[in-house]
Amino acid sequence: MRSILIYVIFATVLLMAGILVAICLADTVPNAAGLAHAQFNGMQAGGDGAARLEHIGGLAFAFQALLLLLIICLAALGVAEERRSTEFWAYMGGTLLFSFFVWWQMYFGHQAFLKTGVTSYFMGFPVATAWQVYGTWLGAIPLIILYSVGFRKFIFTEEDEQKYEKLLANIAKKSEQ
Amino acid sequence: MEPYRQEIIIGAVIIYMVFCVITGLWAMRRTKNSSDFFIAGRGLGPIVVSLALFSSTLSGFGFVGGPGLVYSIGVSSFWMIVISSSGYALGFFLVAKRIRMIADVRNCISLPDVLAARYNSEAVRFLIAVTIVLGVMGYLATQILAMAVVLQAILSGTVMFAEIGLVTCVVISSTVLIFYCVTGGIIASVYTDVVQGAIMMIAGVLILLTAMSVFDGGMQEATSIILADDGEAMMPFGAAGIMASLGWFFVFGLGLAGQPHLVTKMMMNRNISDNSVILPMSLLGYVMAALLWVSIGVIMRAAVIDGVIEPLALPDDAASLFLSIFTNPLLAGIVFAGLFAAIMSTSDAFLNIGTAAIIHDIPKAIQGHAIQNELFWARIVTVILAIVAASFALYSHFQDATLVAILGAFGWATFAASIFPVLAIGLNWKGATAMGAVAAIVSALLINFIIQLAGIVLPYGILGGLVAFIVSLVLFIGVSLVTRKPKLDADMEAVLNI
Repeated sequence: MRSILIYVIFATVLLMAGILVAICLADTVPNAAGLAHAQFNGMQAGGDGAARLEHIGGLAFAFQALLLLLIICLAALGVAEERRSTEFWAYMGGTLLFSFFVWWQMYFGHQAFLKTGVTSYFMGFPVATAWQVYGTWLGAIPLIILYSVGFRKFIFTEEDEQKYEKLLANIAKKSEQ
Repeated sequence: MEPYRQEIIIGAVIIYMVFCVITGLWAMRRTKNSSDFFIAGRGLGPIVVSLALFSSTLSGFGFVGGPGLVYSIGVSSFWMIVISSSGYALGFFLVAKRIRMIADVRNCISLPDVLAARYNSEAVRFLIAVTIVLGVMGYLATQILAMAVVLQAILSGTVMFAEIGLVTCVVISSTVLIFYCVTGGIIASVYTDVVQGAIMMIAGVLILLTAMSVFDGGMQEATSIILADDGEAMMPFGAAGIMASLGWFFVFGLGLAGQPHLVTKMMMNRNISDNSVILPMSLLGYVMAALLWVSIGVIMRAAVIDGVIEPLALPDDAASLFLSIFTNPLLAGIVFAGLFAAIMSTSDAFLNIGTAAIIHDIPKAIQGHAIQNELFWARIVTVILAIVAASFALYSHFQDATLVAILGAFGWATFAASIFPVLAIGLNWKGATAMGAVAAIVSALLINFIIQLAGIVLPYGILGGLVAFIVSLVLFIGVSLVTRKPKLDADMEAVLNI
């Protein structure tokens, strides 16, 4: 599985590189990266949000979706191959789906605001932004839980520790000789 | 209390600086060799490592530049913060366990040491060491300048020091930094980081509470004011747009595991199993401290738009003006001390890894062995490096900012692009080759340098650092796949199997 995983990572990165090239070649719109605020020096404004996404919205959506996949694959690469059980992959798959869901809510929440100009609020922020602030951060919390709670099961088992101590003992023995 | 605002702030900063000096003297007695000086003898407990790790992540950029960025570009800059959970998770999944094991097995005292052992390549050691030295110069110069500017702003508010110059402030702040770094090495750095981290966490929470009381309707009123003025600024991609935002997510998130000053701290813990608690504690500390970044930025942008306060002369004034307008003097004192803490905790980490690269890694890569009496030379080079960086900072401030700007490009993004693939993937994939590593490092350095020197602006706000990072990842895996799989030394094979 390890050899397949590195190919999945490689393919994901290649796709992201392709999307970046496509975005660079897409039609540009004025002030796509913001413009100076009309009234206040030092402030930038976003301007016409719909126009900024017109040519690249779908590409950017796909770029972020691939990035979320890349994060999960890289985290899995950090777990020894023999411990990537079905249970492990189910957990990682669930984490990925949760991250996708957050990204979907954020992106399409923003799209809805661009169409209607109205939004509700959640804990101090417009809903789409609340998905970004709270949702994106929470999206990786399952990884933190897996690492911390599952440390002895997936990351560094008792068996690993014994192997490691044996390795250190062998090295110490050799250096004494 | 209000009439003594300036005195209270100065008092808090002086107490903090005296603490740093005392810690340096205390740590000097515990620093007996170069391993103690650079990696604290791999004997630190989980709380110390957690606080040191997160406080080194949030530099002066986080406490000064962060609120300024929110003021300037709105929600776009939040992406640098919300990625912290993914960033820390990847750092621990990919790096924490194996970097600690390799450090133990090969007695490594620096990141280039670890990578030279992993790839059995002095070329990789040399390139990583050079990358670190270049990055450290830019980072240190900007941090020292930031420290001096803040100190000048505080002192010039008093009658006695009204005319104090920037050079004097550079000398004062650099002297404190040099003193505790030279005397106590990394031991002094990490123990000051503990206090620095605690101050930053307290400051973050108190500032959030203060910020929420500025408008009657709390944070929601502030965000609705910004939204009414410019919808995009308060929507998920902010004023800078979707590609700039996603670029920051990528570079700051994945890149965290490629920051030498952070991953080096993963070599210092006493037990590998401590990592299970270090990860959540570091993340919690980071989030608490980062509350300051978000809350000050949002409130100041809303306050200016709503006419509550005058527009800022510079976005980076957001934090200091917020403190002088909206907080009581005691809180302002704590936060200013926190600001120094943030800058110093990053500066001492860079000073340490830069010194290691100069006296340990580059000589080892060139002549095959380390120099004699490393501890003595470490202390000498720490002083020289800090003085050169301080001079560099002053030269850039008064004469020409170009050089620092160019070296500034060797900041987070270049470390991320050149180090992440080689370290984070390389420690978890036996197929990674030295040739792949060299290709990744060289491409990352060249792309960042060329984009910076040529002033290339990519469409839709795409970051040069993002391009460098993706190219580096592609080359690292691609070149490794097509070059011959290396025969690993037995101990490396064993470490990569665990």
